[in-house]
Amino acid sequence: MTPRHWLAQLAKRERRTLMWAAIWGVLAGGQTAILVVGLAWLIDQLVIVGRSPSSLVPVFIGLVAVVLLRSLFQALQESCSAQASLRIRQYARQVLLDKMAALGPVWLTRQQSGALATQSVEHIEALDGYFARFYPQLRIVVALPLLILCVVGWFDYLAAIFLLLSAPLIPLFMALVGMGAERLNRDQFMAVSRLSAHFIDRVRGMTTLQLFGHTKAAQQDVWYATDHYRRLSMRTLRLAFLSSAVLEFFASVAIAVVAMYVGFGLLGYIDYGPSPELTLFSGLAVLLLAPEFFQPLRTLSQHYHDRAAALGAAESVVAILNETSVVASEPALPRSAQALIELDQVAINYAERAAVLSDMNVSINAGDVVAITGESGSGKSSLLALLAGFMAPSHGECRVDVAAPVAWLDQAPCILQGTLADNLHIAAPEADVDTLTWALQRAGLTELLSSLPQGLETTIGERGVGLSGGQVQRLALARVYLSKAQLVILDEPTASLDAATESVVIKALLEWAKEGRTLVMATHHPAVVAAANRHFECRSGQLVEVAI
Amino acid sequence: MKQFYRDLAPWLKLLLRRRQQFLVGTLLVWVTLLAGLSLLGLSGWFIVACALAGVALAAGLPSSLDVYVPGGGIRFFALLRTVARYVERLYNHNTVLTLLADLRHRVFGDLTRLDDASLKRRRASEWLSRLTSDIDNLDNLYLRLLIPPVAALLTILGVSAFIAIWLPVVGAVVAVVLTLLWAVVTFGYGWLGFANSYQQVSDQEELRRLVLDQVQASAELLSYQTQGWHRQKVEQHEALAFNNQRRLAVKAAMGNAFLSGVTGCLLIATLWIGSMALSAEQVVGPILVMAVIAVLGINEVLVLLPAAFLKLGLSYGAAQRLNALKVNQPVFDVVELPENTEGLSLQFDQVSYTYPESVAPALINLQATLPSQARAVITGVSGSGKSTLAGLVMGRIAPTQGAIRVAGISPWHISPESRADHFALLTQQTDLFDGTLEENLRIAKPSATEEELWQALSSVALSHWVQQQPKQLSTHVGEKGQQLSGGQARRVALARLMLRDPKVVLLDEPFAGVDAETARHLAMSLDQWLSGRTAIFLLHQIDDVSLLPNVDCQWHLDGGRLITDTTADS
Repeated sequence: MTPRHWLAQLAKRERRTLMWAAIWGVLAGGQTAILVVGLAWLIDQLVIVGRSPSSLVPVFIGLVAVVLLRSLFQALQESCSAQASLRIRQYARQVLLDKMAALGPVWLTRQQSGALATQSVEHIEALDGYFARFYPQLRIVVALPLLILCVVGWFDYLAAIFLLLSAPLIPLFMALVGMGAERLNRDQFMAVSRLSAHFIDRVRGMTTLQLFGHTKAAQQDVWYATDHYRRLSMRTLRLAFLSSAVLEFFASVAIAVVAMYVGFGLLGYIDYGPSPELTLFSGLAVLLLAPEFFQPLRTLSQHYHDRAAALGAAESVVAILNETSVVASEPALPRSAQALIELDQVAINYAERAAVLSDMNVSINAGDVVAITGESGSGKSSLLALLAGFMAPSHGECRVDVAAPVAWLDQAPCILQGTLADNLHIAAPEADVDTLTWALQRAGLTELLSSLPQGLETTIGERGVGLSGGQVQRLALARVYLSKAQLVILDEPTASLDAATESVVIKALLEWAKEGRTLVMATHHPAVVAAANRHFECRSGQLVEVAI
Repeated sequence: MKQFYRDLAPWLKLLLRRRQQFLVGTLLVWVTLLAGLSLLGLSGWFIVACALAGVALAAGLPSSLDVYVPGGGIRFFALLRTVARYVERLYNHNTVLTLLADLRHRVFGDLTRLDDASLKRRRASEWLSRLTSDIDNLDNLYLRLLIPPVAALLTILGVSAFIAIWLPVVGAVVAVVLTLLWAVVTFGYGWLGFANSYQQVSDQEELRRLVLDQVQASAELLSYQTQGWHRQKVEQHEALAFNNQRRLAVKAAMGNAFLSGVTGCLLIATLWIGSMALSAEQVVGPILVMAVIAVLGINEVLVLLPAAFLKLGLSYGAAQRLNALKVNQPVFDVVELPENTEGLSLQFDQVSYTYPESVAPALINLQATLPSQARAVITGVSGSGKSTLAGLVMGRIAPTQGAIRVAGISPWHISPESRADHFALLTQQTDLFDGTLEENLRIAKPSATEEELWQALSSVALSHWVQQQPKQLSTHVGEKGQQLSGGQARRVALARLMLRDPKVVLLDEPFAGVDAETARHLAMSLDQWLSGRTAIFLLHQIDDVSLLPNVDCQWHLDGGRLITDTTADS
């Protein structure tokens, strides 16, 4: 799917509203045409015919009505297009978030979350200008100048021919200029995206930058990054503004030419065609209609960067939409009745990196407690991601029974910015206060809970700031308890707990397993391995079962 | 109002520091607007003059009209409008982007001065929206809210003065009506849309936060099958945000309609009053037409203002939140640590610390001394105050009570540069930056040779693994170092630390997440590197005493209290 295609698809959803916006726009433009023709007639009557103003009162009043009607149409146009844009953005964001969910944690890990947030917030909002302004204007540009051209032609066909001749040149030039601008605009969007990622990363590690006395250099970095962005932008803008300058030039020249033509015509210097019939009324009407003829195009060119911005944004969004989903879609059920997981000739590897694990043939039964050991970097975490369904194997088949949720406990559990309760609800949205308290107690956080004056409603920060590492881990354990999962996958569950807490947690986990659940844990701790009934080791790219 | 000014003032000052660019930019906009008005006005004058001359000639009356000067004028204004518009836009955008760099640099500078406690209260997604959206919004002040209204007002005054030369009444009416209209579309619309646009900033920030949550918690949401629940939260919030945007859009539509209605009526009024003057023979036809056309064109001067000012709240909200980043620097004389001392001794004298938003103290009456070049181990479960103690020693927070001294000096009073040179801390949370392995290591020592980098990696037993990677030192570590395993990231952080040459070293869980063999390797390298330095190991518990050779003191933290019982080297 291309960005253009996607934008067209989005516009199609609100075709009717957008069309109405264009119709109101054309009607408003029509009122302007009536207004200036009316002015020309009045001036002719006043200056040349010499009628008294009081005899023209009805016409004056009529023009006031035209002005008010024009305001009404303008308001309708804006409301319609704003409405359409809102609905389109809502839908677009929904599609993007769905896709991100389908791409899954393994893919997301390799992305910069700041850039992803920018794509789903700023880039979707960047579509606003395109649908609220550019798209309806594109329709208006087709109809309104034609309408005005007809009126001008009715007054004086030579003047209409002037306008007609200059008009097709404009889109041509704009297209030429626009093509270059579009590519540059894309670069600029990438730069904005990278810039925000660069920043979130530096700020996240502000403590480290301070500790190493590296803040001045990092601050300079921020300036250089922005300055680089400035240079990129100026390249875009030099071209982007050129397109509007071309338009401005043609509009100005057309007005000048029409003015000279009408002036000389009125003086009787031109004997050709309709010129001898020119009156002040028709001449002035033509002159005042000339800028109106170009106005829709000028408006379009003002909104041209909206289009470029939308295309740039669409490109970055479509790049995500075009990714193949990583999350294993509905894995096959295990063939053997008592097996919960079956790995059949499974291999895992990442692009750009050496193969992690290959040739795995394993069957894990319901109720097993499995310990997986291996050096750091040997692929334990990847294996667990595979079992949790976060990624599909690059080779072979992974069959998992996933009727119930899988409980997942990470090396670095995610702490949402929100209350303690919010952070527990992630595992069980419906759980009530008592259940949450029970889970916290079971995870060994009774003391923490009782020391917090606001209890479950206490706000805790990103990545568990405010909580110590051990507390974060225990909070994540509480989530495991809350879930109704049959399969519990734990990645170094007790890595940051002290011995006393660790043994409590291990005991709790084993009790959890005794209630019929299956545990698969990656671990370094001998205590955990001793408690398992099966033990695998990741060793030089292979998964080897160690006899117990 | 006063508050409003006070919040925006520092940023306006920063923007107007480039006063000259502001003046040139405004002048260019003004010239562009006037050129457009002059083009049409002169053309109108010319046509009517020609028509009158034509009528006179047809009637056989003598009439002379110089067509060359107005003709040249028309061509000149046509060209001037084009060139001025192009130059104006380019010039002003360059200024805007220069200001953007100024603003970003300044905000990041504010951020670097935050202390530990304030840093922990904030969240990366908020920072991000601060540097990008908020700064962009402030930057927009310049091109949307500063230059256009000034140029518009100048144009209004210029045009009405010009009309008043021939038609004083019309000139006065135009001046009064347009100045009032100008005030309405700037101050009035700013007030009208304030609440909605102010809301829009926080709505977007909240939305961004929710999306970040979805991305960062994707593992949990997917495995617990609660993605739907979280998405519902996103959608609810989005619906609220869009309701607000809808109201703003309606106001904008009404505002534009009002503007075009008023300018349209003014146009007709100008013609009406002008026609009275004409019939009273106070003015000639061409001049009347020129005045009418000038008023017709004035709409263009004002047309961009309503939309810009309706969004005033956006800029104000941004300024307010950026202001909140500025911390009041504590006022005291900073000192430097002596350069040439061998090691530094540490002394805790009845030290207590309570976090600003916390009720219970994190540390209570710490009393201990660690001689220069000695090594201590402090054990304690999570939450016992180890990280707080590290923050105090590093001078990142000041004790609430008591005093802590490093070589007799309070670390809080030591300049940040001197602190960075002499102290090193391996934090419990590993911070790697998105970039290559090499870039991450060089944060510690920009001038390090490649050999030094490899040496540091080999002391944490990573050189072998790095050599196996196709890109070696240029291997990307990913955001938060997520392309590495937890243990690897930890070791990279340790290698980074060991590239430095500090006098005091604090190591929070140096052996977390690594297997026993690697831990022994790390212990050996550390033992070597720590000789001649004062060091504190912060551990949950001592798993293996052989990992901690040459330790002089063994202390224990329990609920914020330090239990010191010095033991012999084990």
